[in-house]
Amino acid sequence: MLPQALVALSLFLSAVQPASALWPQPRQITTDQTALKLSPGFDIKLTGIHNAPKDLTDAVSRTSSFLRKDKLEALVVDRGASSAKVVKAAKSLKALRVSLTGDSKTVKSISEEATLPLESRSESYTLTIPADGSDATLQANSTLGLFRGLTTFEQIWYELDGNTYTLQAPFDIVDSPAYPYRGLMLDTARNFFPVEDIKRTLDAMSWAKINTFHWHVVDSQSFPLQIPGFMELSQTAAYNSRAVYSPADVKDVVSYAAARGIDVIAEIDTPGHTAAIAKSHPEHIACPEASPWTQFANEPPAGQLRLANEQTTKFTSSLLTSAASLFKSHYFGTGGDEINLNCYAKDEQTQAELTAQNKTIDSALDAFTQASHKALKAVGKTPVVWEGKQTSLKNPHKYSSTSTEMLLVHPVTLDPETLVLVWISADNVKSVVDKGFKVIHAANDYFYLDCGGGGWVGQNVLGNSWCDPFKTWQKAYSFDPLANLTPDQHHLVQGGQHLLWTEQSSPSNLDSTVWPRAATSAEVFWSGPGGDVGAALPRLHDLAYRYKQRGVRAISLQPEWCALRPGKCDLNA
Amino acid sequence: MKVPCFRALITVTVLGVCHSVHALWPMPRNLETGTTLVKLAPTFDIHVQGISQVPQDLLDAISRTKTRLGSDKLQRLVVGRGSVDKGSLAHAPSLSKLVLSVTGSKTVQSIMHEATKDIASRSEGYSLSLPSTNGGTATITANSSLGLFRGLTTFEQLFYDDGTGVTYAYQAPVTIKNDSPAYPWRGFMLDTARNFFAVSDIKRTLDAMRMVKMSQFHWHVVDSQSFPLTIPGFPELTQKGAYSADEIYSSADIQVIVTYAGTRGIDVLVEIDTPGHTAVISTSHPEHIACAQASPWESFANEPPAGQLRLASAATANFTASIIKNIAHTLPSTMFSTGGDELNVNCYTQDAQTQADLKASGKTLEQALDAFTQTTHGTLKAIGKTPVVWEEMALEHQVTLSNETIVMVWISSQNAAAVTAKGLRLVHGPSDFFYLDCGAGEWIGNDSAGNSWCDPFKSWQKAYTFDPLASLSAAEIPLVLGGQQLLWTEQSSPQNLDSIAWPRAAASAEIFWTGSKLPDGTAINVVNALPRLHDLRFRMVQRGINAIALQPQWCALRDGSCNLDS
Repeated sequence: MLPQALVALSLFLSAVQPASALWPQPRQITTDQTALKLSPGFDIKLTGIHNAPKDLTDAVSRTSSFLRKDKLEALVVDRGASSAKVVKAAKSLKALRVSLTGDSKTVKSISEEATLPLESRSESYTLTIPADGSDATLQANSTLGLFRGLTTFEQIWYELDGNTYTLQAPFDIVDSPAYPYRGLMLDTARNFFPVEDIKRTLDAMSWAKINTFHWHVVDSQSFPLQIPGFMELSQTAAYNSRAVYSPADVKDVVSYAAARGIDVIAEIDTPGHTAAIAKSHPEHIACPEASPWTQFANEPPAGQLRLANEQTTKFTSSLLTSAASLFKSHYFGTGGDEINLNCYAKDEQTQAELTAQNKTIDSALDAFTQASHKALKAVGKTPVVWEGKQTSLKNPHKYSSTSTEMLLVHPVTLDPETLVLVWISADNVKSVVDKGFKVIHAANDYFYLDCGGGGWVGQNVLGNSWCDPFKTWQKAYSFDPLANLTPDQHHLVQGGQHLLWTEQSSPSNLDSTVWPRAATSAEVFWSGPGGDVGAALPRLHDLAYRYKQRGVRAISLQPEWCALRPGKCDLNA
Repeated sequence: MKVPCFRALITVTVLGVCHSVHALWPMPRNLETGTTLVKLAPTFDIHVQGISQVPQDLLDAISRTKTRLGSDKLQRLVVGRGSVDKGSLAHAPSLSKLVLSVTGSKTVQSIMHEATKDIASRSEGYSLSLPSTNGGTATITANSSLGLFRGLTTFEQLFYDDGTGVTYAYQAPVTIKNDSPAYPWRGFMLDTARNFFAVSDIKRTLDAMRMVKMSQFHWHVVDSQSFPLTIPGFPELTQKGAYSADEIYSSADIQVIVTYAGTRGIDVLVEIDTPGHTAVISTSHPEHIACAQASPWESFANEPPAGQLRLASAATANFTASIIKNIAHTLPSTMFSTGGDELNVNCYTQDAQTQADLKASGKTLEQALDAFTQTTHGTLKAIGKTPVVWEEMALEHQVTLSNETIVMVWISSQNAAAVTAKGLRLVHGPSDFFYLDCGAGEWIGNDSAGNSWCDPFKSWQKAYTFDPLASLSAAEIPLVLGGQQLLWTEQSSPQNLDSIAWPRAAASAEIFWTGSKLPDGTAINVVNALPRLHDLRFRMVQRGINAIALQPQWCALRDGSCNLDS
């Protein structure tokens, strides 16, 4: 039985050979067992690409640099030493030839390709590395595809005695993502993160082919984003004058991301999560810092935009369009989660306005949302919202049973292009998709990186995090993006992301909370679901060790003893 | 001069939060404060008075304190930060100097000498006074260099920066009379065998421990996965058993660590866990290890790889005693741990040699374990070391332990009373309160839905509510030496050492220093603790320790505003 023989062989090999290090796993790959090393004069050559975009030549330079500097030893007991002879005798690879297929006269930059609408991006590539030392080739029909291929190429090599080698040549890889959206969300409002932390995170994202940075930049606790025309917001509500993102900082982040194949989707959460706006615009905020906060918000401080007020609606639309102009992306998040009805019920002004306009909260929210979304569309942006607005949901009751019944059915009219982030539960995906909306998976029960770190609200002695337990990489890896959906709905699933809410995070633990865990959704949404955690673990170790070599503080998933002995620390091993 | 604090403006009469000095951790056992701002004079200096020969490590400690007073640059955790005090500071009184002096004898031993004394005879008490008069002199008095050192640590925590380089205290006058720890053992355990930690990581950890007046570093240095500790006479153990040639603690490294710790008031308890947790020894001495890397590991050990010392073999017992002796005699501590946890009986049942050894000697496994332990403990006692063991040796096995043996309770906080009932001294390290690694998911491979064995995460609040004297009789209380939080490192490495340990591990440091009552007589509680723990965390970050944020900064700047009922 040939298939069984192959399985037996590969099991045997896995004990003596380094597992292929690629993450995310390419969708088509064949390898063998020939040693190959990079020639001392190894070069990456762009061939036939006229006027190569600067971000492509920069990417090539970074790849060359990683090939020299990673110096990652194979994760085997002797770290590769027993392969010394084989490596010494191996053929040398002199060049990787990089070329575009199709019309190369109108080459777009990586940055341009990465910020196209999701359906227009091309990230596929073909990578061939012969075993005989003849030139390797990387081909794609976009610079973004070439960039993904370069990222794969970097992961193939190990270091031994000054040689950069693989034991698994030749390689034939034909690769493209299963889903167009593979993201990571970072909250920079609960605690502030300097631009350098964001850039390091973007680098790490790009190494796992993550293509969207969802930047939850402001919230009730602080407003670090400087928005032209609205400078008073950050002046009064940033944690301090240095804890801000200037328009120049934003430009820096956006271009740094784009050059690494990452689109930056900024979010200004509305109408909830806006207490910080009360510092400069008290007229627009209902229940600012109202006490007890448990009755007015899911976490302190309370405060929501007065959604029934015409001036507030105009202010919000204007704020959103001005903020959106800072970002290249076609998308912009308007939030919409955790609207607290009691806040509005207790706000005399909102009640008076609802009465005057003869509106319910729901119809006022609809008008408010239509206004802000219309304003965004007028400047060419597609809105991104949290799930709450159009689905019937249970109250997640984060901390208190006295919390209001939020998130009843809010029948808000949304454009079908709107992207909906499903966060409360993976079980809610079906109801969003049933309404015909495009969905981004962001389920807290799989993808929230902050869960399981204990309660952070004060005076709550034995409280644990509202979304206990900790979401392991194994849990995230087992996620099924198409669960409960019919085949005709599959196209509505755009992808998914891990998320870091930062009530208990800061630059001190950003890397260690995120990496390598967040790489698991990157693989689920690039390679497709159904991967086996036993097979994934050695590759994830490899990725984490490479991250460490590159200065990202990824944590150890196991004792090093286990990392060097794939399978030996499995259950029943 | 009245200094407003955030809560005072709203509900001072109800909560009265402002009376505590927010910066102090652990809270002194006796404390009076005022409301005057006092800044350090430009010529501020620290002097030692009345000591004939000042120990070098005390001079070094003074020098470090002076540096930190200038370099911490921590602004107060209030809305507006340092700027709220800027106006008042212009006319604030200046502190001209700090004078350290000892009571009694003029002959003073080094901090390291005092810190590595027998656990029962250390003197860490001190008194401190910070006046509010212009040109005033602050004082720290103690009857040992170690006490003076603890006082310096308190002094450092009193000072803030206004954002323009003015260093000041804001609650002068401060008077602390006879602050001294409720318990002598306030520790932190680090496992350097599951994953390796460089000397620089250990030093940074010792610095953080020192900030909260911890007195014991429990170094679980080797285990089944790797053997990074260089043992004189047994170089093969690290040569074969370390992860790599770079991941070894040389004899020089070990001296650097114990000296760095000792001069910072910290004793280092080294542990070589026996007879279990020793699989790695089989890489150089297969003759001494039963069930080495046996499969399936679940049948032979609590985690992979399996392997235990052949406790019934006389040669193995002598080999073990030699290893322990050769390392223990190079260490300043009066204590040494022989471990003793998680002994797997099946491993010995399946080991033909152990079965033959038992048969030949006519011993049961328990009798063999007793003899093995007597050998290693006898060796330790012969070189003046007190043995430390994990609780199973006292509670699960028929092992004769000498009265001075110290027992670490780890399996459950419920087991402490059983240890004291045997008349043995104990250190609290219960997994249900103090294990820092719990709650981060399963690390065993191919277990998709698994969580950590000791879920959930042990929050700082949980640790802080630990009662060291629960279910103990008054007569048993003196047997409680203190306690510690512990980091097993299956999922930790230098990348997350700081963030997993700090500021959480400071919770036990306060419980075991401050005891059950705050200076005003009220019971210690998480509401009083949180703003001070924020302060400690921000100061740690200023000093390069990656302590995590406990809350959004919005909350850290508004004491009480993020409480459950606020």
